[in-house]
Amino acid sequence: MSRRLLGVAIMTTLAVGLTGCGSGGSSSSDNTLEIWIRQAPDSDSAKTAKKLADAFTKASGVPTKVVALFDDFETKLNQQAAQKDLPDIVINDTAQLGNMVSQGWLAPVDKAALKGGDQLAETAWKAATGADGKIYAAPFSAQSFALIVRKDWREKVGMEPPATWEDLTKLAVAFTEKDPDGNGQKDTAGFVAPAGTKRGYASWYASSLIYANGGDFITSAGGGKYAASVNDPKTVEAVQYLQDQFCKTKTVNPGAVSNDTTVTHEVFEKGQGGIYLVGPYVLARFVNSIGTDKIEVLPVPKGPSGGPGTLGEGENVYLMAGSQNQDAQKKFAEFAISPEGQKIGMNKDANGAIVRLPVNSTVDMSAERQDPRWKVFQESYAHAVYAPPVPNWAPIRQTSADTINAVWADCTADVKTAMDELNTKLTQELQSQKAS
Amino acid sequence: MTSTLVPAPRRTATPGHPPKSVRWRGPLIAWLFLAPALLLFLYFKFIPMFVGLWKSLFKVQTFLGDEWVGFQNYQTIISDSEFGAAIWHSIVLALGTTIGSIVLGLGLALLIEGPARYLWFVRTAAFLPVVTTMAAVAEVWRIMFHPADSGMLNIVIGWAGVDPQPWLASENSSLWSIMLMSIWRGTPYDMMIFLAGLVGVDRTLYEAAAVDGASTWRRLRHITLPALRPVFWILFTLAAIRGLRVFVEVYVLTNGGPNGSSEVLMTLIYKLGFQKNELGVASAGGIVLFLATLVLTVVVQALRKRQAS
Repeated sequence: MSRRLLGVAIMTTLAVGLTGCGSGGSSSSDNTLEIWIRQAPDSDSAKTAKKLADAFTKASGVPTKVVALFDDFETKLNQQAAQKDLPDIVINDTAQLGNMVSQGWLAPVDKAALKGGDQLAETAWKAATGADGKIYAAPFSAQSFALIVRKDWREKVGMEPPATWEDLTKLAVAFTEKDPDGNGQKDTAGFVAPAGTKRGYASWYASSLIYANGGDFITSAGGGKYAASVNDPKTVEAVQYLQDQFCKTKTVNPGAVSNDTTVTHEVFEKGQGGIYLVGPYVLARFVNSIGTDKIEVLPVPKGPSGGPGTLGEGENVYLMAGSQNQDAQKKFAEFAISPEGQKIGMNKDANGAIVRLPVNSTVDMSAERQDPRWKVFQESYAHAVYAPPVPNWAPIRQTSADTINAVWADCTADVKTAMDELNTKLTQELQSQKAS
Repeated sequence: MTSTLVPAPRRTATPGHPPKSVRWRGPLIAWLFLAPALLLFLYFKFIPMFVGLWKSLFKVQTFLGDEWVGFQNYQTIISDSEFGAAIWHSIVLALGTTIGSIVLGLGLALLIEGPARYLWFVRTAAFLPVVTTMAAVAEVWRIMFHPADSGMLNIVIGWAGVDPQPWLASENSSLWSIMLMSIWRGTPYDMMIFLAGLVGVDRTLYEAAAVDGASTWRRLRHITLPALRPVFWILFTLAAIRGLRVFVEVYVLTNGGPNGSSEVLMTLIYKLGFQKNELGVASAGGIVLFLATLVLTVVVQALRKRQAS
């Protein structure tokens, strides 16, 4: 018995000692502005972010520390939040806004008091607005989606740029069957797609076609309330179109149903597929790795029942709650949206643009970027559709990705039935978010 | 042999008590040696476990403060249809991986058992999959599983005239493909434990059996396998626990898809916690998984004890 007591005594002493050490850790009380960005460490984009922060320091005298993280970004933010020690600034997707508001991570932004705020596009401000109508971020970058296509392949199979969904199918079939890379083997696909469920990719990918056909996931019922509309015929038609690509014409790269974007980028670069519906952030990378004369950017054709439209997305500069440097936070946001900040973020034509399309209307994109292919994305942005400001978009995207992935993976699945079931699930989700 | 009638004197029964310091020294040193490991366990394992248990009763909002919801999170997770499917997939994967690894591990152990000098090399080579990081292994297998004709495994099965398989890309084969990789990785570990067990088998029994004219199969069945019984129990317990908490291989290879066909408990909990941000429900899932593992371990141990007696 006494031995056991001895053990307990030692453990308690050690535990108390260790806990004491833990809680007495150093707290960062200096005035360095900590900026987190969701980009891979040491990537070109992370270097651009560092350039932006350095220019800000030079202009304002506020020291900065840039932390670039890619994998499990939100998880790490959660850990910081649990310790009540969030970074001062976070540059992250617009779609994460609701998620972060619901966790109480964000400080509201006074649009009128933000210098240069009146120069920003109204659509971009919408993507910085929470479900309660308050603004929670400074818009920083915008993007729409378009088709990055192997131009050399298209010319080899002798086809024109697709103007309708039917043309798009024909092009994909030709890429799959007519050996566009000329190696004598049937080893190419029409589309490459990140159709897995990680971070809701299947839903993210389908969004552009759903919007291009005039469909949607949920629609506003007025007064900050929403209703699920994912079983709307236009939405079903878009998901059905893609199921046909997977199952009937078999024009999607093999294994797409388990792939995320990292893998899909590689599949496209390896020449395993020729049509990639994606944002402009990979354009410079593909131009480098595949060759500038082999790549073209085409707008997403309007769907048979509606459109035009593509998914609109972007990044916001989030001013995080609990910061000791509120004045510096505001100054950084003002610098990030200023023409100078936007131009640094655009990084001209080189790889690593953290501002895909500038949100500041005084910035002339064609003066910064010589590559005319960026213009396709800019023009598509005019009819880009952002995720609506529900309290939390993340579970809606994840749930719809699970269903959409299921109908693409299982060719016997009936799209309409699956979308009806998804509609019920989204209705329940909206109810639990008190948004219906 | 006759047993002695006089009981051996017990150490503590020696007349007079030893000085206090001597009595305490042994256990004190033992505990001090254990302390660093226990400390790490306490801080990185036991405290987080209790925090997890506590959080499972809340709607977790890391910055706003948690909201008490009682057992609602447990109700949510248990009534979730995906939870049932994930349990089933976890069990199938755990069983398949366990049985596959044990059978192949035993086979390999029997083949490379012995004192020959070159065998150390074979053993080391065979053991390599175990020491390689799972994330790296899974990434390599993901490339090998490429479902087109040009995929490495499809080329290999093509030599035997088998058609290309979709592997991870089909909901009918994704779980089996993950199992195949897990068996490949688990087999050498089991093999090493079997090798250690085989060393303990009394050689004279083999000699006696050989003299009696027993065939190889009979020797295996009546001498080797019974001697290895404790090893089997260890492997069953370890494999069952490992199987239930499988995560990295599934996360890297399929992330539970396609169509949820390879969703296991850990990937579901991960999704709930970090992709849907429902940390309270995810904690409840973690506790349910812990209880399942505990029950399984206790059952296996009870069975072992019963058989031993």
